[in-house]
Amino acid sequence: MKFIKRICVVVSLGLAVNVMATETLTPINSKQLAPDFALQDTTGKLHRLSDYRGRPVIINFWTTWCPPCREELPSMNRAWHQLEQEGIAMLAINMGEDEDTIFVFSADYPTDFPVLMDESGEVIAEWPVKGLPTTYVVAPDGRIAYRAIGSREWDDKALMDKVRALK
Amino acid sequence: MTSGLLLCVLAMMWPARAEVHLSSNEENGLKKWHFIEGDIEIELVQRLPDQTRAMFMKHEFSSAVVEAMATSCMFQTIVRNSGKSGSGQPVSVDLTLWRMQYAGRQSGIVLKEPLIESWSDEDASQKARLVVRWGMFPTQQEFLPGDYNWGLTAFGLPPGAQFDLQVNWTEADKQYTGVIRNIICAPDVDSLK
Repeated sequence: MKFIKRICVVVSLGLAVNVMATETLTPINSKQLAPDFALQDTTGKLHRLSDYRGRPVIINFWTTWCPPCREELPSMNRAWHQLEQEGIAMLAINMGEDEDTIFVFSADYPTDFPVLMDESGEVIAEWPVKGLPTTYVVAPDGRIAYRAIGSREWDDKALMDKVRALK
Repeated sequence: MTSGLLLCVLAMMWPARAEVHLSSNEENGLKKWHFIEGDIEIELVQRLPDQTRAMFMKHEFSSAVVEAMATSCMFQTIVRNSGKSGSGQPVSVDLTLWRMQYAGRQSGIVLKEPLIESWSDEDASQKARLVVRWGMFPTQQEFLPGDYNWGLTAFGLPPGAQFDLQVNWTEADKQYTGVIRNIICAPDVDSLK
């Protein structure tokens, strides 16, 4: 029985990996609008979520001291270079750190998308975030459409296609 | 073909046994306990008291808090819903239900909410509290397939202490329990000499 079970586990693992490869974002069936915010990015530009209405927006909550947050930044940057040209926005909201800390960090992890600063943690407290990183995809109508807890390969085609389909 | 499928279904229905893998990091010697049962995976990685000292000192906690946290047996903890079963069911973890067995006594683990509450303004600034609020593992969290989270857990035991940990989780509205035995808190610098 144990041997048969092992074979079945291997087969089902293969199936599961296949499923997981296309199911990396969790759909959120809520009619509630994503909490609005107004935060400055590291260049001083103010970003309001409501200003992005009409476009899908990927919102990533992170810190420099969180290993899985660091892990997904390069793939987020690659994804942004593709999605930005298609009218899809990406905002990374750093939680609790100042501009200097993020600046030093960005030498090792360069990103081209806007990095917003929630130094007091007031914005993250308005969102249903439990741990970092957590990423939400907000639909053009302002609802939260998807959630991802933990890091992802953001330039995975299947994942990006889910975001594109929101347009 | 049909009998093969039936055999597979029967085998998969056989109660899943938990696996616990113990490994050591080749570079630093820190131990990792990796618990797997069904879709849930729990990893506990030893954290040296000095690593915790450095982290808390950087965020300007009082020296009393720095020392208390450094010697409170912290682990880097990862909980994951692997989704291997293909059931698509969420896995929920509630740390208030986890129990540790140490020196013949059973108790709960350290939770971040009462810990943060216990600090005075001199012990920790609001900014420092944010580090613990987001750096320690959430007390309750739900994981859908593919989700995982990372954070620190503390057990309030002295460096080098050995204990058993009973972990609890919910999957498809059913409660499950597993035990990770003989977990060892990382030793402090004195015992490394």
